[in-house]
Amino acid sequence: MTYFAADVNELALGIFAIVVAITLGITYWASKRVTTATDFWAAGRGLTGVQNGFAIAGDYMSAASFLGIAGLIFLFGFDGFLYSVGFLVAFLTVLFLLGERMRNSGKYTIADVLSFRMNERPARAAAALGTLAVAGFYLIAQMVGAGVLINALVGIGFELAVVITGAFMIIYIVAGGMLATSWVQIIKAVLLMTATTVLTLFVLGKVGWNPVDLFREARAQSPEGEAYLKPGLFLSSPIDTVSLGIALVLGTAGLPHILMRFFTVPDAKAARSSVMWAVVLIGAFYVMTTALGFGARAILGEGATEAVGTGGNLAAPLLAEEVGGGAGTVGGDLFLAIIAAVAFATILAVVAGLVISASGAVAHDVWSNIVRKGEDSENEEVWVAKIAAVSIGAVAIGIAVIGGAGLNVSFMVGLAFAVAASAIFPALLLALTWRRFNTSGAVTGVLLGVFSSIALVIISPTVWPGPDSEGGMLSFYDLANPGIISVPLGFIGCWLGTVLTREEIAERSFDELYVRSETGLGAEVGTGLTLTGRRAGDREAVPAGTTTLPHP
Amino acid sequence: MATTEIGTGGGPDRQPEIDWVAAERSPEFRELIKRKRSFVVPATIFFLSWYFGFIILAGYAPDFMGEEFITDGMTVGYALALTQFVMVWGLGWWYLRKADRVFDPLAERAAEVALQAGAEGRARRFERGPTDESVRTDEEARPR
Repeated sequence: MTYFAADVNELALGIFAIVVAITLGITYWASKRVTTATDFWAAGRGLTGVQNGFAIAGDYMSAASFLGIAGLIFLFGFDGFLYSVGFLVAFLTVLFLLGERMRNSGKYTIADVLSFRMNERPARAAAALGTLAVAGFYLIAQMVGAGVLINALVGIGFELAVVITGAFMIIYIVAGGMLATSWVQIIKAVLLMTATTVLTLFVLGKVGWNPVDLFREARAQSPEGEAYLKPGLFLSSPIDTVSLGIALVLGTAGLPHILMRFFTVPDAKAARSSVMWAVVLIGAFYVMTTALGFGARAILGEGATEAVGTGGNLAAPLLAEEVGGGAGTVGGDLFLAIIAAVAFATILAVVAGLVISASGAVAHDVWSNIVRKGEDSENEEVWVAKIAAVSIGAVAIGIAVIGGAGLNVSFMVGLAFAVAASAIFPALLLALTWRRFNTSGAVTGVLLGVFSSIALVIISPTVWPGPDSEGGMLSFYDLANPGIISVPLGFIGCWLGTVLTREEIAERSFDELYVRSETGLGAEVGTGLTLTGRRAGDREAVPAGTTTLPHP
Repeated sequence: MATTEIGTGGGPDRQPEIDWVAAERSPEFRELIKRKRSFVVPATIFFLSWYFGFIILAGYAPDFMGEEFITDGMTVGYALALTQFVMVWGLGWWYLRKADRVFDPLAERAAEVALQAGAEGRARRFERGPTDESVRTDEEARPR
């Protein structure tokens, strides 16, 4: 096992070290300020809309967005951009349907909202299962991706790269909770936006500042010609394209690590302004990735197809090297190193968000509310969360290392979105809007959503018999994206479970959830902790984690 | 912000007095829901239609999406994709404006009414003795 390949990029390693040193410093600083459960899970609910907007952007835009989309566009042209559009439009679903309501009626996890007016333990268990499924698939995909990318960009061995990523992710959460995680995500968003903007300007400069010239040049450099600017090179099955679209546009509103961010702001107003900041950043970013993808095609040309690797992940870094002056030049090396470091920061911010949401499901939902029935202390909950974060991190590292660089993760992010769209989104939306919806409905819907997504992905051609085979295991089923079937199934499960059962009256009514979610009455209050650590004097008196309406 | 302050103003001993069923039926709350729905429902239908229209065209009409738009190099598909970005920013901005000007004041009003009714209810019960408490709680939990 080689830990360091011969061609370690010392410059990239140096910039990595600076980024990591800064985040570790902040984590140490945060560790002294995170004292209560609300500080740990929700950064004291003291983030402003702008801060949370940057953090959402940092939480959301994975290396798959940055390097993956640029790579897809480089390889397949227009189809890569289809992903970006779905990833962005999805935030309207979040803004209109869930963001503010989550803030108003939840505490730390999505299960708080789902189980609010239901038979608490089964509803929480279902929500926790959905959370762990989404976070788990997403996390493994990110960890394997991290290993492959860092290996290619910096020259560190795959296993070591995975272990390093996992170790930092665990340190951020165990020591600094959501406060440190928010900082890491904000720093990442700033680095990513800056690097992408600079790179875009360099690319546009090369083609005389006319984006349309960029498309023309890209088309000229592609053996596909006209087809390069049309849909269909990557997503060749129309029904699959629509299915993917469904999962993207509804899935974001079911991603636990994104929804959890709404608990970090003081009120609904800050929640919606954070979505607005996030879509401005994310939208600008995705428009620029088209410049990177088409730019890589126009500037690097067909000759680079082999060098960019499977999925085209190295297209953006190679482009950076080229516009910086080319391989071997000081400028080229520096640009490549910076992009590599930004990619690393990108991965760290996303995996940290995933692990804290998964540890929320384990500690707050399963341990505190299901096992201990709410009788544990706040301190105990935080300790369990830290143990959970270490365990989840260790399992993810283990799977990534054992699976190795060759583990087929191409379907895993898609699967995470499918589960989020089919299991979590329907149940959450109905819990907040449908009076009749009950525990059996929620449990049935979540289970049907989770298992139908997984089953459909397993029998899809990408997994079984394998990515290179013709057709799936079932001759009549060849969808790579399950959304078009699993999302309706999730809703049907919620509906059937509800109408087929009659239920004991829960402790809290739909009316209470409805009024609270729409007006913010009785919403959880902050601890006075802000992103910069100051505690506002007038809030000092509020006991941490106290809800104005005591949880039954 | 105002809405939260209303929520946090009471303190744990006063809050449970809110009659949620009555609050849900109050004209103020109904007005909030009505106004909010009349924006969110059409806006959601619109953005989903615009998005799925785009996706369906991309899937089923790739040649149309590849047609030249205004100038060589710019395609109908890319232009339509850009309209999605404009739509997200535009609808987002519009919603924020509506929320600040219309929904927030209505939500604040609905919360105030609910808190007031709660405070009055408590005062009444205090005079009549504690037996009322259980009766009211049952009523609160009754499904409709």
